[in-house]
Amino acid sequence: MLEVKNLTKVYDDGTVALRDVSFTVEDGEFLIIIGLSGSGKSTLLRCINRLVEPTDGQILWDGADVTAAEATDLRKIRRQIGMIFQQFNLVKRSNVVTNVLTGRLGYSNQWHSLLQRFSPDDKAMAMAALRRVGIEDQALKRADELSGGQQQRVGIARALVQEPKMILADEPVASLDPVLAHSILEHLEDLNQNESITILCSLHYLDLVQRYATRVIGLRQGEIVYRGTQAEIQAMTDEEFKDIYGEEAVRVGGGLEGSLGGAA
Amino acid sequence: MSADTRTPTGGNPPTFEEGPSFVSAPIAALVSLVAPGVGQILARQWRRGLLILGSSLSIIGLLIWRIGLIATRQETWGEKVTRALQRQPGFTILMFAGILVLWAWNVWDAYKQTTSAKRGGATIFALVLVLFFVLGWQISEIDLYKAVTELDDTWPLLSRVLWPWEAAVTRRTDTVSAKALIRVPCEGDSPAPPAEVPGQPYVSVEPACGDLSDLDEENQIVPGTEVVFTGRGFMPNTETQIWWSDPVSNQFQIRQAGEYLAVMTDRDGAFELDVIMPYRLTPPSAVGVQEHEIEARQVSDVGPLIPSDPLKLSIERMVETIMMGMMATAFGIVLAVPVSFLAARNLMSGSWYTMALYYVTRTILNIVRSIEPLIWVIISAQWVGLGPFAGIIALTIHTIAALGKLYSEAIEGIDPGPIEAVQATGATRLQTIMFGVVPQMIPPFVSFSIYRWDINVRMSTIIGLVGGGGIGFILIQYIRLLNFRAAGIAVWFIAITVAILDYVSAEIREKYT
Repeated sequence: MLEVKNLTKVYDDGTVALRDVSFTVEDGEFLIIIGLSGSGKSTLLRCINRLVEPTDGQILWDGADVTAAEATDLRKIRRQIGMIFQQFNLVKRSNVVTNVLTGRLGYSNQWHSLLQRFSPDDKAMAMAALRRVGIEDQALKRADELSGGQQQRVGIARALVQEPKMILADEPVASLDPVLAHSILEHLEDLNQNESITILCSLHYLDLVQRYATRVIGLRQGEIVYRGTQAEIQAMTDEEFKDIYGEEAVRVGGGLEGSLGGAA
Repeated sequence: MSADTRTPTGGNPPTFEEGPSFVSAPIAALVSLVAPGVGQILARQWRRGLLILGSSLSIIGLLIWRIGLIATRQETWGEKVTRALQRQPGFTILMFAGILVLWAWNVWDAYKQTTSAKRGGATIFALVLVLFFVLGWQISEIDLYKAVTELDDTWPLLSRVLWPWEAAVTRRTDTVSAKALIRVPCEGDSPAPPAEVPGQPYVSVEPACGDLSDLDEENQIVPGTEVVFTGRGFMPNTETQIWWSDPVSNQFQIRQAGEYLAVMTDRDGAFELDVIMPYRLTPPSAVGVQEHEIEARQVSDVGPLIPSDPLKLSIERMVETIMMGMMATAFGIVLAVPVSFLAARNLMSGSWYTMALYYVTRTILNIVRSIEPLIWVIISAQWVGLGPFAGIIALTIHTIAALGKLYSEAIEGIDPGPIEAVQATGATRLQTIMFGVVPQMIPPFVSFSIYRWDINVRMSTIIGLVGGGGIGFILIQYIRLLNFRAAGIAVWFIAITVAILDYVSAEIREKYT
């Protein structure tokens, strides 16, 4: 269980990115965070694993205080929380399997890993993760030879080998086209439902939110302005969405929308 | 030209060039007749006016300088111009005619600028360019006639450089010789003729004493005693050189009538030759009787072809050159890495003093890089003396500056995304550097370093010209000795090495990008 209490982040230049944000994520939830760009979604996700240092407030992860954790404890917390990114953040010149294996760094002996040595178990796990996201055959290619959708799947595989209890996904489909967006989110949904991995995901598109979220929070200028359950989201109209989200809000579009909306 | 400046644009404040002319058309023309361009300035066309003024002054100034150089002895300007017309009529007439046209156009243009907004004048600025080209042609002493006529004389020389391989091999030489003594002057007993050993060459001289050639008061040669020099037991039908050696064993080949004295042996290996005893400056202390030697010497090539000295030296120096490039690159890389961290903006933007350090480092790198290695060699040769080490120091200094900048740009170009992603997996700081930073830095670092090695080997071929060791060092010596075949061998080695290096470095860099 993740508890975020009165989280505030003020950047050095005085920008207030988050203001007194509090919420709780139960295990197994698929929580989607919506909000305009600049509303603090990325900062919020990065505060949870302290890639960004919070200014004030407290974050509890399974009862452990993330905000107060020392380096070693923080790394132990981080390795339980996978993260995927809008720009995939792969090391482009390394091959796919090496990128996936970086997910094991939190578990491996530092000195062995510096020599790029990983245990056979780790390698097997990396290959299994690639198989799960369907790109096992690309394992030895350089990361930048892959298409955008494939790169994001490498990102998921990297998070997966961390054996995470939770995955933070920062706009995971914003750089991809709509068809690929669904394929990526379906992978996340699979992990959510079959591996009981909690998902915390920021998203842009209303139909994707309606399709995948079990709960939604909306951010505007660093504050939570909307909390909705699955049922409330299904009932949400474009107008209400735009009210939270602003004019930027769009559906993925066209034919997909209806069929998926019906399925949900 | 500033055609756009007068176009009225929305909210811009009126510029100097807007509004009516300060003076009327005839006055502007008159002013420009006296001082080109000033009339245009008064007509508010200050850019145009300054351009005309500037180019007129430069063209006239340069012309005065060149005419002064053509006619240095003439006193007045009238005489100087006449002389210039005689010596370089084409240049002088072109320039004067051009300036005249330019001047006339300038007056007409000043008149026009006051009345209408029409610009034009592209042709006349083409004329200005032509005048500068004419001056440039004359100043840089371009002489196409010479380039064509001298070509014939250059060919033998050039062909030796282009195909120098005849000088790449040589044979060992074998010398057959015999000596006889001569006493100077004829006092007492003449030296006994040498004992004849069967199977060995033998010479004798008759008489075995005499006087050397000398100079009289008018510096005219007074010929010495003519002696008969005979020999036998030499190789038959072979050219035989006649050498002289004085009492202090200075040897020289005797010359008569400007030619080295030589004789062909007959088919039995014998010869007979009249030799005038040569001129030899004897020290004042050498009074009294001296014993000189006359020698017959046959030199012949024997044995298999062997590599010549220029070939061996070129290979040795080429290896030295490649090693110099390698060492300079190695030192340069080691020292450039720390420097590049100081010159990377993203690493140094933390506080004002790191930023100050960044600017200082950048400035020093830029200054050092802008000084060519050739100049650094001259400085470092003062420091450690001529030779390869001076070259290595010079190349290292330049390499640090060049690689420091390239590396720092590679560091600045690092994508923070992967670093963040690796951090998020719970990696330690070291692991983050190893997996997030290093893979991003290695390819550009390798690529830049190989490229620099390539440049350094090329550079080390020429820094020898100014004393930095390597193949350039012998190349410039061969050129100065007019030994163009040997120079050609060195040039060939440079070309081959650079071509191979070019290919190899391109291949390696291909792999790393």
